[in-house]
Amino acid sequence: MIHLRGVRKSYGALQVLRGVDLDVPHGQTVSVIGPSGSGKSTLLRLLMMLDAPDTGELVIDGERPWSTDDHGRVRADAAQLRRARAKVGMVFQHFNLFPHMSVLDNVMEAPLSVLGLRRPEARDRALEYLGQVGLADKAQAMPGQLSGGQKQRVAIARALAMQPRIMLFDEVTSALDPELVGGILALLRGLAEPQDMTMLIVTHHMRFAERCADRVLFFDEGVIAEDGTPAELFHDPRHERTRRFVAAVAGE
Amino acid sequence: MIFDWAYAMDILPRFVPALWVTVQATLAGMLIALTLGMVLTLLRRCRLIWVRWPTTALIEFVRSTPLLVQMYFMFYVLPEAGVRMSAFTAGALALGLHYAAYCAEVYRAGLEAVPRGQWDAAAALNLGHWSTLRRIIVPQAVSRVVPALGNYLVAMFKDTPLLSAITVVELLQLAKMIGAESFRYVEALTMVGVLFLILSLGAASLIRALERRMRVAHA
Repeated sequence: MIHLRGVRKSYGALQVLRGVDLDVPHGQTVSVIGPSGSGKSTLLRLLMMLDAPDTGELVIDGERPWSTDDHGRVRADAAQLRRARAKVGMVFQHFNLFPHMSVLDNVMEAPLSVLGLRRPEARDRALEYLGQVGLADKAQAMPGQLSGGQKQRVAIARALAMQPRIMLFDEVTSALDPELVGGILALLRGLAEPQDMTMLIVTHHMRFAERCADRVLFFDEGVIAEDGTPAELFHDPRHERTRRFVAAVAGE
Repeated sequence: MIFDWAYAMDILPRFVPALWVTVQATLAGMLIALTLGMVLTLLRRCRLIWVRWPTTALIEFVRSTPLLVQMYFMFYVLPEAGVRMSAFTAGALALGLHYAAYCAEVYRAGLEAVPRGQWDAAAALNLGHWSTLRRIIVPQAVSRVVPALGNYLVAMFKDTPLLSAITVVELLQLAKMIGAESFRYVEALTMVGVLFLILSLGAASLIRALERRMRVAHA
């Protein structure tokens, strides 16, 4: 489903990813943990194809969105990029809702203008997913009228409405008040259970990473420093730096 | 120097056509500035450097040279190259072109003020570049650019007396003509000042009302 080989990415002089190899099979729920600046969010940006890798191989459900030209530069084939992006949805730390559109329009926009659904169909679909996140009654509200937790639910419904095979969650609880975090995590757990979606969840909630993932990746200094089941990573890590990180975060 | 009210009332009707010319020049100029400014903004965002660079150069050139010189150029120099137009057309075009460069800057600032995350969210939903601009970015930029565009509308209105330099009979030109006929400048020039004041204040309050409405629509 996801296949990365030797992926490197720099922003200016800053090397963020220094050679990432990763295979994620269909239906797996993967938590990604690690200190800030270790490359977790960059990994998600590359998987969402918001940025291109500098070098390396990236295959999303059989699609290769980037190709390398004769000069070694990475280029996008527009059609391939569209096909690959259609398989992936992403939820952002700061929600990034469209503030000039109602909740319903936020969720309907892409099904209408990308998938070409008719209005009634797009509307039904949007209401279905808003119902799933418990916000059907807020369909007519503007994003500015919602709480942080509600905004994040809308953002999740908006991504789900495109029916992606892979969902990426980038620290979706870190901009929320503590009392709202539980609800979002319960929602993610509900999404992970049916197992027909592949999920990558970047999170600082170790409890959540441990309980609801099939697999945990520990990122450090731009590489996957450790990769294993939650039990292995949290209770019997192979590397000293994993142990230190887990202990430090658990103490917070 | 005594202000003669009777005389002022006497010449008032003569200002109606001149005022209409001034208003028309402003509206035509603004229409050109708003659309051409949009075109310049889009050209400057083009991926091809040989489109982007000349556009930037043109904008900088227009902004860095006086409007009056541009007007003279349109009216006195272009005919030598075979491009003939009426004084009014040349004047409105010069106003439009000059302010298009400023509008392009306003649009650019408006687009750049929309947070990067909005582009990311649109890309993650697989919206193309144009749909993203049209559906997500531009609607959010519009409310940010209205105040600045409104200022330029008023500024352009106040620049219309420059048209008198290329023989257009707008308010100032008419006042000079009346003064030359009667050797009384006080009433005519005062009238010009008052008319500009009234219309500028009117336009400014219209723009403020528009800003308020957009704020309500976004709340």
